[in-house]
Amino acid sequence: MARPPQQRSAAQRGATRQAHSAKQKPAWRAQGFDFKLYLRQHQAFLIESLTRLLGHPLASAMTIMVIAISLSLPGGLFVLLKNVQSVTDRWEQQSVISLYLFSQLEDTEALSLSHQLSSRADVLSVEYISKEEGLRYFEQSSGYEQIMSTLPENPLPIVLKVIPKAIVDLNTLPDLQALRDHLQSLPQVEYAQLDAEWLQRLATMISFGERFVYAISALLVIAVLLIVGNTIRMAVESRRDEVLVMKLVGATNSYIRRPFLYMGFWFGVLGGLFASICILMLSWWVSSPAEQLIELYHAGFELQSFNAVEIIMCLTISAVIGVFGSWVAVSRHIRDIELQ
Amino acid sequence: MEIEFQRVGKKYESGHDALSQVSFHLRQGEMAFLTGHSGAGKSTLMKLIMMIERQTTGTILVDGVDLRTLGKHAIPYHRRRVGVVFQNHQLLFDRSVFHNVALPLQVSGADDGQTGKRVRAALDKVGLLGKEKLNPMALSGGEQQRIGIARAVVNKPQLLLADEPTGNLDPRLSAEIMNLFQEFNRVGVTVMVASHDLALVARMRHRVLTLNQGRMVNDGGFA
Ligand SMILES: Nc1ncnc2c1ncn2[C@@H]1O[C@H](COP(=O)(O)OP(=O)(O)OP(=O)(O)O)[C@@H](O)[C@H]1O
Ligand SMILES: [Mg+2]
Repeated sequence: MARPPQQRSAAQRGATRQAHSAKQKPAWRAQGFDFKLYLRQHQAFLIESLTRLLGHPLASAMTIMVIAISLSLPGGLFVLLKNVQSVTDRWEQQSVISLYLFSQLEDTEALSLSHQLSSRADVLSVEYISKEEGLRYFEQSSGYEQIMSTLPENPLPIVLKVIPKAIVDLNTLPDLQALRDHLQSLPQVEYAQLDAEWLQRLATMISFGERFVYAISALLVIAVLLIVGNTIRMAVESRRDEVLVMKLVGATNSYIRRPFLYMGFWFGVLGGLFASICILMLSWWVSSPAEQLIELYHAGFELQSFNAVEIIMCLTISAVIGVFGSWVAVSRHIRDIELQ
Repeated sequence: MEIEFQRVGKKYESGHDALSQVSFHLRQGEMAFLTGHSGAGKSTLMKLIMMIERQTTGTILVDGVDLRTLGKHAIPYHRRRVGVVFQNHQLLFDRSVFHNVALPLQVSGADDGQTGKRVRAALDKVGLLGKEKLNPMALSGGEQQRIGIARAVVNKPQLLLADEPTGNLDPRLSAEIMNLFQEFNRVGVTVMVASHDLALVARMRHRVLTLNQGRMVNDGGFA
């Protein structure tokens, strides 16, 4: 990409001439955008703003801790939700759809329905429970022998226990519910029951929990925006003289703004970092009682904490919040500081 | 740089006419003093050139460009071509002399090597080369004033504006500083200095613009 030296200097001369002859073109337009310079300035600002932050360790630490606490609450709830979901995901259970057939149905009709259903692709097997078997089972389990024996006729219907292929969990629940609805619509079936009510309830609770976490997160993100905004506004105010002098010697507003945006960036990143540490410590603290509790129900479960990807996500989100919060606070403020 | 005022007026929001019907033409490479009683409008005139205030009537041409045609985004680039010494925008005491003088260069994105060279050259011109590492607080009033001048010239501006640069200095120092401006003028910089010190102005033998109640009452030389 090397250009002959004469050509280059000619181009430079052209640029300078253009910059000076304001009649044709205002000087500010003649300045090209220098990406390397831009990067170098940013790097300098990054370091400078961190130094400034550390220059007021107590005030900075307070702001950072407030941000960290505000972020660790939604973060902690997120981890909790993740664990609940993973428990239910591992809770592999065969579900059963019990079909109570109309009592006037003949045994042969019931049997043929049973065969028909067991040949379906989404059905693993069908267990046929005749009226007599049902009665025996009922007598054994309920202790109502006397009452049952006084009845003139067996009141129990034929029951088909349909075992679907799919294992029941939160993902397959909608499919199973659809299957149940389909079976319910069969003319022979009086009532179809999916024995996963606990799962349905859990699903409702989890979706409620998700919304709760979103709402809390939104509120706390706004709180962090306000905290960062306020801290940065105060930083600008304390450097008013500097802003004025910079304007006097020709600094653009975006140049003046940049160190403050970086300050917001640092507040966000450090706040996110401490929030991550809080969450890791908290999940470590609750891990052993939680694992004991869960082992009562299900072996081989390991409590999940923040993983590396989630930590990086947390840092990214908090950095964005920090930059955005300071941008909102600073843009107007710097424009409003006018030379007099 | 060339400055032309065509019947310029400035009315502040308070309703006060700080300048009215001011016309003059300062040519490229010229040096002029601006005098007048307190409140005559000297600072206002310089603020108009810097686009710190905008005129309410008339036209200001800088190198033939009407300042009214420059938008907000052009103002910083316009200011980079002008060096200023204003009383109330003095030094920043949270950084060294070097970094005070370097500020205009940083703002316009000069690289570090060039910045060091230019800052030392500017400090050398005002005779403070040995003090670059000090905090300006540690310097005398006269020295601080000279740092302000170094900062104004470090960017090699085409126009130098100084508002009462010798405000609270003794006569010998004042004369020294005026000589500094004269030197910059000799290398082609257009210079305008507002001053109360009529005796000093008279000795310098340059063009003198006199304001009275916001009107230009005298435009002539002492030569
Ligand atoms: N921001 C402002 N708002 C309202 N009036 C102002 C403002 N700035 C200056 N003035 C008025 O405009 C007039 C001119 O002020 P200016 O500062 O230009 O005078 P000056 O010649 O520089 O005076 P001095 O020698 O005292 O510095 C004064 O009457 C002053 O009160
Ligand atoms: Mg004044």
